[in-house]
Amino acid sequence: MPWYLYLALKQLFPTGKRLSFFTAISILGVALGVATLVVTNSVMGGFGYEIRRMIIDTQGEVQIRARSLIENADGVVEAVGKVPGVTGVTPFAEGVGMLEYGRKPAFPLIQGIDVNRVNDVVPLNRFIRVGSLDELDDDTVILSSQLAYSLGVLVGGKVTISSPLLIERLKNDEVFLPRELVVVGIFEIGHQQLDANTVIVTLRRMQDLYGLGEAVHGLNVKIADGLDADAMAARINAALPAEPEMRARSWLDANSEFLFVIQMEKNLVSVLLLFIILVASFSIMSSLLTTVVRKTREIGLLGALGASPRQIAACFCVQGFLIGLIGTATGLALGFGFLHVRNDVLLAFTKLTGSQETLERFYQFSNVPAHMESSDLIVIIVGTIVISTLAGIFPAWRASKLKPVAALRAE
Amino acid sequence: MTNDQPVTTGEVLLAAHDLRMSYLSGERRLEVLHGVSLAVGEGESVSIRGESGSGKSTLLHLMAGLDAPDEGAVTWAGSTDTGAGRRARFLGMVFQSFYLIPELDALGNVLMAARVAGKVGAAEKKRAEELLGRVGLAERSHHLPSQLSGGERQRVAVARALMNSPRLILADEPTGNLDEKTGDAIIDLLLGLCAEQRIALVLVTHNAAHAARTARTLFMRDGVLQ
Repeated sequence: MPWYLYLALKQLFPTGKRLSFFTAISILGVALGVATLVVTNSVMGGFGYEIRRMIIDTQGEVQIRARSLIENADGVVEAVGKVPGVTGVTPFAEGVGMLEYGRKPAFPLIQGIDVNRVNDVVPLNRFIRVGSLDELDDDTVILSSQLAYSLGVLVGGKVTISSPLLIERLKNDEVFLPRELVVVGIFEIGHQQLDANTVIVTLRRMQDLYGLGEAVHGLNVKIADGLDADAMAARINAALPAEPEMRARSWLDANSEFLFVIQMEKNLVSVLLLFIILVASFSIMSSLLTTVVRKTREIGLLGALGASPRQIAACFCVQGFLIGLIGTATGLALGFGFLHVRNDVLLAFTKLTGSQETLERFYQFSNVPAHMESSDLIVIIVGTIVISTLAGIFPAWRASKLKPVAALRAE
Repeated sequence: MTNDQPVTTGEVLLAAHDLRMSYLSGERRLEVLHGVSLAVGEGESVSIRGESGSGKSTLLHLMAGLDAPDEGAVTWAGSTDTGAGRRARFLGMVFQSFYLIPELDALGNVLMAARVAGKVGAAEKKRAEELLGRVGLAERSHHLPSQLSGGERQRVAVARALMNSPRLILADEPTGNLDEKTGDAIIDLLLGLCAEQRIALVLVTHNAAHAARTARTLFMRDGVLQ
């Protein structure tokens, strides 16, 4: 082992002592910075991940829509199903309607789904909280949790649904009676907008309500794991029939602005938190500068023993590097340790403040999500170690510039 | 006999030719050395006495290659290479303030000289242990400097100076911080080991009795060696 590495280790971890006080403070500064970065990045990443998962779970990875109605839905399903990489296709129709229960009206978004195909693309069963998707037929309906709560309807209750077609028919002196449907399930996705005001009916019932005949509004597509959604959307576009004019868009493309905002928010917070590491690096610099002053005569001695200025500089640079390394490792342990107990901490906090119910109602979660991208973790680790090492450069330069004679004479 | 001729007949290990050195003190330039010449032969012991501020330590630092003279030159065994790389193997130094590294035990301090010279292995560790035995600290090799007395610390410093089997030892008032009895013991040790291993010694000291024990005693007065 080169002497400067050996001495750097000995100065950081002196014989007979676990850690010098200055070193402990510097390591703690770096560790707290890294832990904060890890926790914040993970939690923000967790929210982003949940939002992405929710988009995919409700829309599939690729969605096909047309300028007009898609009349030949089965033909499109067959054509898209043949594209390599596509694992499921399901048609849908959607629109706003009026729902009434016990003289309480609501104007939800009605989603018409193909009961036989929907689970190939959207894991709807996972979101059913009460009742069952299997019971959904042309005379039944599934409501979102908050809609059911606000109307006061339970499974088994009867609701009436009508669509804008009612007015269209009235213009022609025709009568289009509202449909009476039985509630067979209540779902909760974890998305404020969808959970507040959505109704699921069969595709046939939606076609009936909107007078679509056999037509649909679009198709949701599921692709195999690991495939690029944008590339798959391009492949599907190439396989789509020419008429009507349709376009397949990946979930990334369709939600690009929203995803950009989420990513931007996360990056901004990371940059702001990076200042903690910068502050810690000044602590390292200050600690090492103090060491240089305290050890001036030893630096002179090393010169007298035959050490070169470059080796003396390396001794202090290595100390900055080691503080960064140990601080980062400690910070990672602290950060991931905190993430491990994050839900217990949240539970304790909400119990203390009595805000558990409010939190669940407004944020749709009772657990704090956490997700760390490996690239983010690498940036945190490498960035912190580089900054810490750079913080050792100025003290190292000062030490290397000391003349042995002047250093030996220093009081 | 002049200062620039060794008393021994062997190779001239250390030669200082017409060294001049000055320092800026405020706006005044202080002349510290006025053309000092000195030659030390293989195995020779030379002491330099003089009042404080007479330039003894400055001369020693120039001879050690730790500083560059304004004029003149220093050669080690005929070579003007007095750089850090060669210093590690050619000479050892002993200082008044010991300058032990507080984080290292006695053995670690002695071995540090070998580490800086770029070679430390089982042989060097064995030599360091032997040297600590020679200076009477075999039982205290794993004690930190803070656990040693002043005399013991200087013994560690002597062992460190001998670690790389140097041809020359420069000692700058090595007994200055020690009581008379301990100081005498250190001088006994230093002279004995240097004589035994044919190492040349330049001893800067205020102590007339210690100086008298070297083969040659020189006086530094106002930057001139007499």
